Amino acid sequence: MNRFGGWWLAALLLLLVAASPVRAWQDPAAQEPEEAQEEAQEPDQQTLEEKVQELDQKIRILERKDEIVQEAATEKAKTATSTTSGRDGFSLRSADGAYQLKIRGYVHLDGRFYQSDDERPATDTFILRRVRPIFEGTVFKIFDFRVMPDFGGGTTVLQDAYIDARFSPKIKLRAGKFKPPVGLERLQSATDILFVERGFPTNLVPNRDLGVQLFGDLARGNVSWALGVFNGVPDGGSGDLDNNDGKDYAARLFFQPFLADNGAWKGLGFGVAASTGDQEGTLTSTSLAGYRTPGQQTFFSYRSDGTAAGTVIADGERFRLSPQGHFYRGSFGLLAEYAISRQEVRRADVSAELENTAWQAEASWVFGGEPSFRAVSPKKPFDREAKTWGAFEIKARYGRLEIDDDTFPIFANLASAAEAAEEWGLGLNWYLNRNVRVYLDYERTQFEGGASSGDREDENVLLSRFQIAF
Amino acid sequence: MRFRALPVLLSVLLLGAATSFAATVKLLNVSYDPTRELYQEFNAAFAKHWKAKTGQDVEIQQSHGGSGKQARSVVDGLEADVVTLALAYDVDAVANGGLAPKNWQTRLPNNSAPYTSTIVFLVRKGNPKKIKDWDDLTKPGLQVITPNPKTSGGARWNYLAAWGYALRKYGNDPAKAKDFVQRLFKNVPILDTGARGSTITFVERGIGDVLIAWENEALLAVREIGKGQFQVVAPSLTILAEPPVTVVDKVANKHKTAAVAKAYLEYLYTPEGQEIAARNYYRPRNQQIAAKYAQQFPKVQLFTIDQVFGGWTKAQKEHFADGGIFDQISGAGR
Repeated sequence: MNRFGGWWLAALLLLLVAASPVRAWQDPAAQEPEEAQEEAQEPDQQTLEEKVQELDQKIRILERKDEIVQEAATEKAKTATSTTSGRDGFSLRSADGAYQLKIRGYVHLDGRFYQSDDERPATDTFILRRVRPIFEGTVFKIFDFRVMPDFGGGTTVLQDAYIDARFSPKIKLRAGKFKPPVGLERLQSATDILFVERGFPTNLVPNRDLGVQLFGDLARGNVSWALGVFNGVPDGGSGDLDNNDGKDYAARLFFQPFLADNGAWKGLGFGVAASTGDQEGTLTSTSLAGYRTPGQQTFFSYRSDGTAAGTVIADGERFRLSPQGHFYRGSFGLLAEYAISRQEVRRADVSAELENTAWQAEASWVFGGEPSFRAVSPKKPFDREAKTWGAFEIKARYGRLEIDDDTFPIFANLASAAEAAEEWGLGLNWYLNRNVRVYLDYERTQFEGGASSGDREDENVLLSRFQIAF
Repeated sequence: MRFRALPVLLSVLLLGAATSFAATVKLLNVSYDPTRELYQEFNAAFAKHWKAKTGQDVEIQQSHGGSGKQARSVVDGLEADVVTLALAYDVDAVANGGLAPKNWQTRLPNNSAPYTSTIVFLVRKGNPKKIKDWDDLTKPGLQVITPNPKTSGGARWNYLAAWGYALRKYGNDPAKAKDFVQRLFKNVPILDTGARGSTITFVERGIGDVLIAWENEALLAVREIGKGQFQVVAPSLTILAEPPVTVVDKVANKHKTAAVAKAYLEYLYTPEGQEIAARNYYRPRNQQIAAKYAQQFPKVQLFTIDQVFGGWTKAQKEHFADGGIFDQISGAGR
């Protein structure tokens, strides 16, 4: 062996010794179980990840499906018609509010009991004074309509039938049969008036007429305006047909300068209304009217016997003017108006311009509520179990109507038509709730003229009303 | 007699004053789902243009939803001055309701379709399911998002694009095309009512592997809604979608907006209108504007509905009418 042979052997041994752990690490017998475990684990992990993803997708899909169902339900609700019922009546409303139908109405059952009516007996009676279903609605967002027949007193009368077009709060158009914008108490709803019957000024202003009117509210409702053209009806009258070519023009301006404030003067309102026109009556339709007491007894009428010589007819210009106002503060309410009605009249060949005037002031004090032009809403409605009684209102009024002196004797007979009437009334209202109200009034009216013996007998009447309105 | 003319005059004046009170003219554009962004930008531009031209303010309101549903709403009384819908069939429905003339399509250039679009795929970034063409959408286990063809115009384009591809693949064999589309719809887990709903499902709710979408909607998702998270895949063959527009004459005449409504739609064809369409990823008709924006639209082979289906009326009757092929497919597939 040469000297290098020993070195080679030593190196080989060293290599063998050094290599032996590596071989052991690389030994398949030692390695296989570990690798096999890892390889076996990889597909499991993949499957788990996939399963998680799959489940996640399923959850997301379910959530999204639920979301879509809810979106569809919301969408459906937008187009679904809603039905409501409550103290303001019953209504159907399209989802966007563009179409609505409201059904409302009111009934007035009155009792009239006359005292000391020996000279001019009047019948004590119960009467269905008003039976009025109301159909109101909206079409195409801005067009409103109202139809209100009246079956009161056993007759059928169409009181309101009109269409409003709401171009903006400032300007609206109304066409049809409705109240011309003249008398303040006349413009107040029959369900909201203070006494069972309206006062004397209402005798001199139109009730309902056919025509076209522009109206609206300016300055956040502080100013209301109205301007219209109408067929023209006699004082206190309603009409469905015209008997002449003349038309009445009516205008009203009403201020409620503190309406938007919540202060003490919020309930102050004042204004003026007027109408003018040219009216010519006929023997069968004179275009003139008589006047009534609060007890609904006629105390003045023009002469009329069906002949040209004995019948007074409207024959020329008619003019009405009515300054008016109200004030409501706390429990106190006050309404006052004045009315002038001037009309050119003719009997046969005799003509005259006659001017009749009326005024009234009425005041009230409410317990358990607050008065307003739109009636009283009790703070606590009547409920026996809760021992709440609704609201009570005490009231008083004074008014006078005067006929033009030139009316007598040619155009009216002083022996049957009074030349003036003066009334005062006292009473109590009980508001059980927003819908039910009971009235009790005592009215006394005194006359100048109107009887062959001089003054017509005083009218003393007890008026009652049971009102249901919704 | 002296006052006889006065009430007539006053009545006319009152009515005239009332009806001419409104100074701002209002238009309602009833459109389909994915055009919200397009018309927001376009309406502002048109209002400015109209004010400068006439001095009149114009306020344009938008209503969006599935195209078919929107058309039905207009027929049922939604007072649209103009409709800008997904497909001609839906505008035909409006015309058949007596609201526009039957020849509405001839009143404006390019069959009253001022811009076009097409149907592409939107996939998640990196295209993890390796989706390249319509065939991939029929593979078992894949989830495809597309809206309901019964309510969505975009969905009908999607469906017909797949059908057209299948017809070509199988040598115009309708039975095989039906089987192909049926397999595709078996992979659809949710049918939204409109294209925008499907985009929300895919993009925001993270559902599905691929969204079949309007090209404009897919590009909007890639570049704006879900920037960096998605990519567009253009299939080898797809359909040319031509969303049409028209004035709803009966409503516009009633609103006295016919002139401004006509000008509104004509403005879509002006360079400014075309540029706005292109900016919102619709393919403009104007060649110069189209060249300017050519880079943003993938080059795809297109077929038209007339070429493959004989027009919308025929396609609607065969595929989407009650009891049609889609009802058969979806009934069988679910």
